[in-house]
Amino acid sequence: MADKTKLIVAGLKAGYSGKVVLEDVSMRVEAGEIRIILGASGCGKSTLLKNIIGLERPLAGSLEILGSRVDWSEGRPANELMRRMGVLFQSGALLSSLSVGQNVSLPLRIHNPGLPHAVVEQLVRIKLEQVKLGHAYAKRPDELSGGMRKRAALARALVTDPELLFCDEPSAGLDPVTSRGLDELLLSLRESLGITMVVVTHELDSIRALCDKMTFLAKGKVIFDGGLDEAQTTGPQAVKDFLDRKSEPVAQTGHTVAFNLEDD
Amino acid sequence: MKVQEVELPEEITPDWVSREHSRLMADAESNGKGGELRLDCHRLRKLDALSLAWLAHLQDSLEKSGLKLILFHLSPELKKDLAKLALPDSVETQAEPDPGVAFRLGDSTWKFLIEIRDTLVLLSESLYWSTLAMFRPKTLLREDSIHQMMRLGSSALPIVVLLSTVIGFTLALQSGIQLQKFGATVFLASGMGISMVTEIGPLMTAVILAGRSGSSITAEISTMVVQEEVGALQSMAINPVHFLVLPRFWAMSLTAPLLTVCSAVSGIFAGLVVGFFFFKLSPASYINELQDSVTLNYLGQALVKSLVFSWIIALVAINKGLNVRGGADAVGKATTSCVVTCIFAIILADAVFSFIFYY
Repeated sequence: MADKTKLIVAGLKAGYSGKVVLEDVSMRVEAGEIRIILGASGCGKSTLLKNIIGLERPLAGSLEILGSRVDWSEGRPANELMRRMGVLFQSGALLSSLSVGQNVSLPLRIHNPGLPHAVVEQLVRIKLEQVKLGHAYAKRPDELSGGMRKRAALARALVTDPELLFCDEPSAGLDPVTSRGLDELLLSLRESLGITMVVVTHELDSIRALCDKMTFLAKGKVIFDGGLDEAQTTGPQAVKDFLDRKSEPVAQTGHTVAFNLEDD
Repeated sequence: MKVQEVELPEEITPDWVSREHSRLMADAESNGKGGELRLDCHRLRKLDALSLAWLAHLQDSLEKSGLKLILFHLSPELKKDLAKLALPDSVETQAEPDPGVAFRLGDSTWKFLIEIRDTLVLLSESLYWSTLAMFRPKTLLREDSIHQMMRLGSSALPIVVLLSTVIGFTLALQSGIQLQKFGATVFLASGMGISMVTEIGPLMTAVILAGRSGSSITAEISTMVVQEEVGALQSMAINPVHFLVLPRFWAMSLTAPLLTVCSAVSGIFAGLVVGFFFFKLSPASYINELQDSVTLNYLGQALVKSLVFSWIIALVAINKGLNVRGGADAVGKATTSCVVTCIFAIILADAVFSFIFYY
């Protein structure tokens, strides 16, 4: 069972500068699953992701990734664990001083300096082909469109053949067609490579296309954990409303002003 | 009781309010307390947020002056709109209480100490990794270091040489005139040699590098932090200290002493030219005097100083860059703060060196 479960979050509490953003967040992600983390803006989705991928230290609770417990005793999680997962950042986060090829090959070149250059280049070209960016090897990140940058960043996240892939709002800032293309790419990667994915998003189209299971966050807490169908039928009202694109009613605030009116 | 009547236009526009408001207020106030300002609304077609905000403000201001605002000939639709439109409740923003001078002083001292600690940690990590890297095969970092040497060091050569020559020229002329009074122009060479090698060379180079390379390092790294690039490195299990710090640390450590030598040589050469043309000092005697006075000891001092200055610049700049939080304005602030801190620390270190070397 343990090797089938790729990620276990238990009782996670997180925040920064004295402010608690997430309280008692728990979830399990099984092998080959695409888990969507969703919720309205500001609910703590990105904070949860940062805590899971080791960019921020949880205030309490435990994390088990790929069968090993995340240990912060040395100030940051172990490198061996980090190498087994890939992260696609919202902005892509490609290093602007390097070409696309250099960006994608970076983890390999740093961790395996002895790897022959030709092998690295071939591997990078394969990964770029997988994300349909074969022609962009020598280009610089600023020469790419938003969608291409995301795909290049995806190639970089995949270059070490991770078992677990995290995506932070992959379709943010993309047009619906490009966004759809990226979702299909993620699905085909899951199909061909069997990667388990955790995707943070609030794009309904992406959720419908990708979701196996979802963790719905509201005000820093998990209010629903389960499949999409279940969410739409038996989920809490807030989840149903979110999936039906209903916005919360805005409370009428303010005061009217009494003017002296004179009739004719 | 005086009554003043004004006809409102079809639409209350920002232009109209800017033009008419002060005039209306002044006219109404000139009527004295108890007066009325009557606004004829028969032409008014719509009430929008601006109209409401303006009318509420007008009513409020008039009330304060003891005057009354009356709206008349308002169409039934607009009356309904007026009843519906609501002004947001003003939220009392509580200004944070001023913590006092003592707190602020303590707080900034604490932050300063933390910054010094971080910089020293960065120094120890850099030295540790640098020592390890010497025994490793060719790595990516070495390639990047060469790139950084070009960017941070070599390209600063023209400006370092130019400024050192100009300073050398000024210094030689000023001191030459004083020395001439005592017939001691022959000491121009030793004065120029010692001051350029031990003081002005290292200091000038460090100040130029702080402004040029330090600011560039901070701006680059802080932008990388803001754009999540540093987070991406961490997520790929790449140590940002290793990847970002070492190439810049090595580049600065190697190029700063070389630039210092260039700076000292250009200043001394300027002294030679000034001596020859203004004080009839032959180049041969200038060089002889120079060889006698500038000993290896002085050269050693210069190199030690420039190495320490280069570490200050590299580490302060990197530390400022890595600790940026926020957006584009934070990048600007960090860059300014880097240059100021570097120059301050360099001058302080220079004073400490003077004390160590001469006592």
